[in-house]
Amino acid sequence: MSSRAPLIAETVSRSFSGNNAVDAVSLTLEPGKITSLIGHSGSGKTTLLRLFAGMERPDSGRILSGSIELSGPKSHVPIERRRIGLVFQDFALFPHLSVRENVGFGLKRLQSDERNACAERWIEKLGLSHRIDAYPHQLSGGEQQRTAIARALAPEPVAILLDEPFSGLDPAMRDQVRDAALEAVRNAGIPSLLVTHDAKEAMVHSDKVAIIDRGKILQTGTPETLYNAPVSELAARALGPVHQIKRSNLPAEWLSQVSGSADAVAYRPEALQVSPGSGFRVIRQRLAGAVSEIEIEGIGGESLFAVCQLGSKIQSGDDVSVGINPALFFDFKE
Amino acid sequence: MTLLVGISAKRGQTRFQMPRFSLSPRIIPPSLIVALVGLPVFAAVLTGLTAGDGATWDHILQNRLIPYTLTTLSVLFITAIVMLGLAVPVAWLITQYDFPGRAVFSWAMILPLAMPGYVMAYAWADLMGVAGPLQSWIRESTGLSARDYWFPNLFSASGLAFVLATTLFPYVYIIARAAFSMQSRASIEAARSLGARPFDLFWRVSLPVALPAILGGLCLALMEAAADYGAADFLGIQTLGVGIIRSWQSFGEPNTAARLALMLILIAGAFLIAARIFQGRRGTQQTSSRWQSQERAKLSPLFGFCASAACSSILLVCFAAPVFRLVWLALENSASAADLAPLIRSTLLLGALGAAMAFASAIIFSLSSKRSAALQVATRLIAAAGYAAPGAVLGLGALYILRETGQALSGSVAIGFLVWIYVSRFTSAGVEPIQASLARLPKNLDLAAQSLGSTGLRQFLRVDLPLIAPGAFAAALILFVEILKELPATLMLRPFGWDTLAVRAHAYATDERLAQATLPSLLIVLAGLAPVLLLSWRLGQTERT
Repeated sequence: MSSRAPLIAETVSRSFSGNNAVDAVSLTLEPGKITSLIGHSGSGKTTLLRLFAGMERPDSGRILSGSIELSGPKSHVPIERRRIGLVFQDFALFPHLSVRENVGFGLKRLQSDERNACAERWIEKLGLSHRIDAYPHQLSGGEQQRTAIARALAPEPVAILLDEPFSGLDPAMRDQVRDAALEAVRNAGIPSLLVTHDAKEAMVHSDKVAIIDRGKILQTGTPETLYNAPVSELAARALGPVHQIKRSNLPAEWLSQVSGSADAVAYRPEALQVSPGSGFRVIRQRLAGAVSEIEIEGIGGESLFAVCQLGSKIQSGDDVSVGINPALFFDFKE
Repeated sequence: MTLLVGISAKRGQTRFQMPRFSLSPRIIPPSLIVALVGLPVFAAVLTGLTAGDGATWDHILQNRLIPYTLTTLSVLFITAIVMLGLAVPVAWLITQYDFPGRAVFSWAMILPLAMPGYVMAYAWADLMGVAGPLQSWIRESTGLSARDYWFPNLFSASGLAFVLATTLFPYVYIIARAAFSMQSRASIEAARSLGARPFDLFWRVSLPVALPAILGGLCLALMEAAADYGAADFLGIQTLGVGIIRSWQSFGEPNTAARLALMLILIAGAFLIAARIFQGRRGTQQTSSRWQSQERAKLSPLFGFCASAACSSILLVCFAAPVFRLVWLALENSASAADLAPLIRSTLLLGALGAAMAFASAIIFSLSSKRSAALQVATRLIAAAGYAAPGAVLGLGALYILRETGQALSGSVAIGFLVWIYVSRFTSAGVEPIQASLARLPKNLDLAAQSLGSTGLRQFLRVDLPLIAPGAFAAALILFVEILKELPATLMLRPFGWDTLAVRAHAYATDERLAQATLPSLLIVLAGLAPVLLLSWRLGQTERT
């Protein structure tokens, strides 16, 4: 098994007592790239990860590493022979082993000095050298996380699967841990799957994003494609806020720019460019982190929603003019 | 059984209130109970330390203390190994794998707890005897005579260890099962993704994590094993428990008895302390509910069959075969139930009286330890002392108190002392389920009740008692059955005409009138099943939630 081979799911399905947790899903994880799988809880993302890992057997379809079949109608390579690294939300470090022993756990085949040297190399890569003899309960959440990643990567797996690896971390340290951790994952040059429910995390850190809902993949593509060209409203919502408006309630001067023919039009709040001026009135304004969300009085009682930078000094009651970016208006057929 | 309660109590014991030191009339009843529970232990220990005259120290040391202690320790050593060998692999199989009958074995494995060691010894002595079914079958099928082959002898130290291990291994099993099933499945799956095979999973991941808990359970089970008198006496093994009663009754050497009792309580106490240390070392386990509910790995038909066969044979040896043999013997000899009536009457009376007193003192203990930190420490210490002290030691303590106070061991005085010893020995068994129930109550409930004008007894009756009713019921049941099974102290202190089922069964069995011992033994097992089934039901509930 070459570590450069992609990890492929080919129309895999898995149901639990009649519910299709994963329904004819095909997804290819390219080597050296991070593929994010996003979806709500219960969407089937963890089941898909478990199918890749071999913790579950598909009811139909195949899991392949390059051309080698890992799971299929007749064959099933058990988890312990797949050489696929796993990182869990709760880290699942072995509580009775030190950082060094945790990272060395999968290196059983090596001589003990080689094993230690290899474990130490990975520990250093993830910046944990000062904690090498500590036990899991002595580590911070971020340190546990990095130990879990070093442990998964040390045996040079053919792929690595990360199940919500950052959601257990305190938000203040999440960004810092995430950058270092995902860099190590990317540098390993193997297919990697990042399961997450955090759209921002998926967009910022992955090369490819797959959106899963009720066991089906809605759309796969680069983060840009998915954000700018969602195929459905559900797919659009998965990556960020979307608002709807009746086509008949669009201001006349926008109609020519917004293509399509459906009755309702969806748009991202960034599609509206708000500036001081006239033509529209701000009904409400509130802070949302680094931006402020504003609600603008529209036509036919349907409000328009936009965001603008802090410091733009737009208040409720202000008169504003609104321009649009037609690319962020979507026309969904259904 | 006492320790089972401890196990189920562990979950709830999180409440700790800031110590409040106060002197009020309220601390009088609990203080009296502390004295009541502690005094027999204190009397036995004090006599053990100070007893002077009579037999010379050399004689005691050379002929009694050293040999009895060595025998006890070697029996305990073998018992420990057999218990680990039975309990740990079974717990591992049942928590990790799916095989035919797994769900039944999961709870049935604790059934042997219903058998007191002495009943197990009677049944197996008959099964393994020269005229018993096993040896008869060997002779019939091979044509050999009894002298031509070797057959294991139950009347030996390893025989006693076998008997004790088969009745007490469920303690270790319950703890090992809890420890294995509490382990995060994610860490098992992480280990597998790193290439670990089932063998590695057991030795490198699960066992090291579960080991402190398992050793803690083992120590408690060994403490119970050290307290045995009936099985050792029947099998003729000179353990400390046997030695205490023989020194007092047969050799007429009270000082020897005191020294042996001191040694026994040291050994039992050491196991209790070791158990607490191990329990404190249980590491923090990371668990995540989303990975918990995964299915157990299904064993292949061949391995599944082997697992079922192994579990079935353990149940056969530790429960089904001895119970079946007792029933068989009872039917074969058409044992008459007529002379059982007085035995049942005195057993029920003593059991009810002892259980009521122990229950009341357990309630007072539990409630008062909510209020005063000093009492909390005192009650824990004293309850632990009573818990660790074997019945023979407490009985001896009572006999010393009788001697010092110049009372004769007869009539109501004897019953009073016997009930006292029951309270001393078993109060802690009642305290734990009650405290576990109390610990689950919301913290501010007391304050809420008080703000509504309910205090003291009124608060207890209207608020605490209804809420802890399930725990209190379990406590009462356990106390009753424990007292009903109790042998050495009852043997030492019962007044004339007050033989219990356990005492009479033991008398018959040691007289080699095993057939007559069967009915009382079966009744004891039947009574013992009640708390065991209650416990297995509760364990099943915690497993599901």
